[in-house]
Amino acid sequence: MKHTILALTLVIASTATALAQSTLRIRGSDTLGAKLVPALAEAFKKQAGKVSFDIAAEGSSTAFTNLAAGTAEIGMSSRKIKADERTLCRSKSITVNEIEIAWDMITVVAHKNNPVSDLTKKQVMQIFAGDIKDWSEIGGAPGPISVYTRNTSSGTYKDFMGMAMKGREYGSNSQKMAGNEQIVAEVSSNTNGIGYVGYAYAGSKGIKVVSIDGSAPNPAAVKKYVLARPTFLYTSGEPTGTIKEFIDFCRSPAGDAIIAKAGFVSLSQMK
Amino acid sequence: MDSSDLPRRPELRNLIIRNRKRTILGFDPQQIIKYFFGANASTAVIVLVLIMIFLVREGVDFLPTNRHELQTYRQAGLEFCDLVDRPLREHQTLSSSLRQCVSAALEPIVKDARERRNAAFLLKTQAEEKAARQREALENALEREPPPAEDQLAALRKDLQTAAAAASQALIYPSLFTAEETALFKAQLAALSPELTDLPPFIQALSAEFMTQDRAAREKYADLVTAQEEFDEAPDDLHELVDELKEQALGAKQSVEESHALAVNRQQLLEAAETTADPDEKASLIKEAEASVGEEVDLTALTKELTARTGELQTQIAAYVESAEKAAASLPDDVGTPDAAALLQKAKKGLPAHVQDMREAATALESWRVDKPVSMLRVIGAFFFGTEWITNSSWQDFFGFVPLLTGSVVIALIAVFIATPISVIAAIYTNQFATDREKELIKPVIEFIQAIPSVVLGFIGISLVGDLIKEFSEVSWLQWIPGFPIQERLNMFNAGCLLAFMAVPTMFSLSEDALNNVPRGYIDASDALGATKLQTVFRVIVPAGISGILSAVLLGLGRVIGETMVVLLVAGNRIAIPDFSAGPGVVFQPAHTLTGIIAQELGEVSRGSSHWQALFMVGIVLFTISLLVNWCARAVARRFESQKA
Repeated sequence: MKHTILALTLVIASTATALAQSTLRIRGSDTLGAKLVPALAEAFKKQAGKVSFDIAAEGSSTAFTNLAAGTAEIGMSSRKIKADERTLCRSKSITVNEIEIAWDMITVVAHKNNPVSDLTKKQVMQIFAGDIKDWSEIGGAPGPISVYTRNTSSGTYKDFMGMAMKGREYGSNSQKMAGNEQIVAEVSSNTNGIGYVGYAYAGSKGIKVVSIDGSAPNPAAVKKYVLARPTFLYTSGEPTGTIKEFIDFCRSPAGDAIIAKAGFVSLSQMK
Repeated sequence: MDSSDLPRRPELRNLIIRNRKRTILGFDPQQIIKYFFGANASTAVIVLVLIMIFLVREGVDFLPTNRHELQTYRQAGLEFCDLVDRPLREHQTLSSSLRQCVSAALEPIVKDARERRNAAFLLKTQAEEKAARQREALENALEREPPPAEDQLAALRKDLQTAAAAASQALIYPSLFTAEETALFKAQLAALSPELTDLPPFIQALSAEFMTQDRAAREKYADLVTAQEEFDEAPDDLHELVDELKEQALGAKQSVEESHALAVNRQQLLEAAETTADPDEKASLIKEAEASVGEEVDLTALTKELTARTGELQTQIAAYVESAEKAAASLPDDVGTPDAAALLQKAKKGLPAHVQDMREAATALESWRVDKPVSMLRVIGAFFFGTEWITNSSWQDFFGFVPLLTGSVVIALIAVFIATPISVIAAIYTNQFATDREKELIKPVIEFIQAIPSVVLGFIGISLVGDLIKEFSEVSWLQWIPGFPIQERLNMFNAGCLLAFMAVPTMFSLSEDALNNVPRGYIDASDALGATKLQTVFRVIVPAGISGILSAVLLGLGRVIGETMVVLLVAGNRIAIPDFSAGPGVVFQPAHTLTGIIAQELGEVSRGSSHWQALFMVGIVLFTISLLVNWCARAVARRFESQKA
């Protein structure tokens, strides 16, 4: 009898710890999920303990498919939710809740030895739409331009189309890369390469920032930069418990510091 | 042996037979075992059939869905706008050639000045990079509020000066600069500081020099420059009009889609309300569903507005054609360098076709009918012969799979081209010439390749093979190879090499088996006739095993065409038909593949959308190709069997 009670207590105790150790599953944008959210999660874990994170970043669209399927607690997105995605979630009895978390600046980058360091907005559009095919057309050293873009599941892909290209299609010469890192890797190894990345990647080795109409991305003057955009976290319903604690942490001064360090602009900095 | 033992034997046998006759649930155990084995074998067949059914079930709806989309594309007037917009895009290609022509013409005059200026800028960046730490420290100190004490600043300035001086010494100055210039520039770079807002005077001088040269060059080729600018601006008015119409059409399309989405939304919400148990949730879902009602959109009225402007469009097209031709006529013949002349010829040659296309577009506008139904044949054609794969578009999605197919086929051919000689020769050697110890080494090693995960090979492709090919292509004595020097690390050749590596084990093992199966009598006969070993191998064994080798190659091809991870990581993911006019150099261009597109896009699309279905259609095609290749391999092998018998 004594043994039975002991065993029972052990079982209950272990279930209790298992419950206390909650896991937050976060899915979505590569821009947010590659550096910023893991950094925030790490810091939050140190502070709150007893929570573990499971983060996968494969593009903003995956945030909503996962929220709808109930396979994620938090979705990361570098664009606003689309109407059909909201419906998809709603039809699964999930009301998505949007939380603006930080601003990002899409940065046009070229190889570090490329003499071109400033482009007009029209030239950016023409390059990515495939109208301008050679660097010599815009005052660079002659050579065909290699255009690297994100793939179609990326929020940045769509945002860039709207903000920099007036909704035009990418040229058929563009190459679709899986993430910011890959774009940096290809641009830094190709003297004729051009691409765009989140501001967090602008300082990577082997590339340089190309300013647009003379304005380079600058955290101090976000709204003046043409390619600045807000990024979001999405939860199913009003956040509660650990999820709420985590989101509050992201918006606290400690969170702001991490956001700034990761190359984003925190909301307090925007004011 | 004792004779008294003999009667025992039948007893034992009886025992065995009686045991075997026991039944389980009324079945003979032997039968059960037979069924069990049979069921295992048929599982594979059943699964295959299920896969086919699943693929077809998800994919076949693509045709009606896409037909509906193309119908909307027509009814909302997007097609009408594209009639003009598509040929107008050729203008950009011509214009691009002309812009390149201008810079090629100016090149000999401005080249030195430009290179000197660019080199100076590059050196400045490098110098700044080298002293970045000290520079940043001073910058931060200067921005601090309240400003730090003067002596602190002075210390920081001194640090920066030392660092900048060291950096300017360590740089490599190109021979573009004379010794005096280098010395002057070195001193100016050493003095770089965040407190100086102006560029170093040397760079300013170089920039001014470049500007003067550039102006002089532009004056010299004034005809060309003005003609190019005129040509560039020729379609501005037409563009403006088309953009306006496009916006209108897009608005119409969006309102149709919205009303459709609202209807779907309503349906989904109602379905969700049916299944939910919670009465409150149910009520709120039903309420939302009732609110989700779209307005009926009257497309005919909207498109009428578009077609009413046909005349205006035609006038603009005529005006554009006239001014483009005028600009082209004023292009000079003499543009200096051969490069520029070639580009000019390219533009001039392309113009008549473009003008023709524009004129045709103008007439096509009249015969365009909004109510013409989209035939199923056209939908099928748009998929199987479409040259554009555009998804997640803000204008119109197109699912044409030709670019993906060409990518897959070219990569597979490269892989087979590389892998076949390697594996067949290795098989001949192992089978005929190798000692037993060599065989023991070669076979397991080659077969081990199969165990390498393809994602690992993909990483090798990105981090190693790509750079190797690129460096190799820049070697000066190899420039006769078409396509060299290459620009993209990630290209079809890179993917083909890695896939060849993956196909070698399959091809090697099967070819080796085929050679092994050559009847001993053939070899003995050849030996008896006094043939040497080499003669026997090439005149008897290889011809006898050729169909087996062919089937090995085909199975290798099947393996290659279905491979996903490597091509997704390494092929460069450019959705365009490779430019075959580049000759054999085409293999160094990036491409996208059938397998890669499924892996890349399936995760993000919503289930049941046309994009989702299109990807399943691609899956069906891929499946069919694999089946065909395997069937061919079997057919070839069967011929080999019958020959042997």
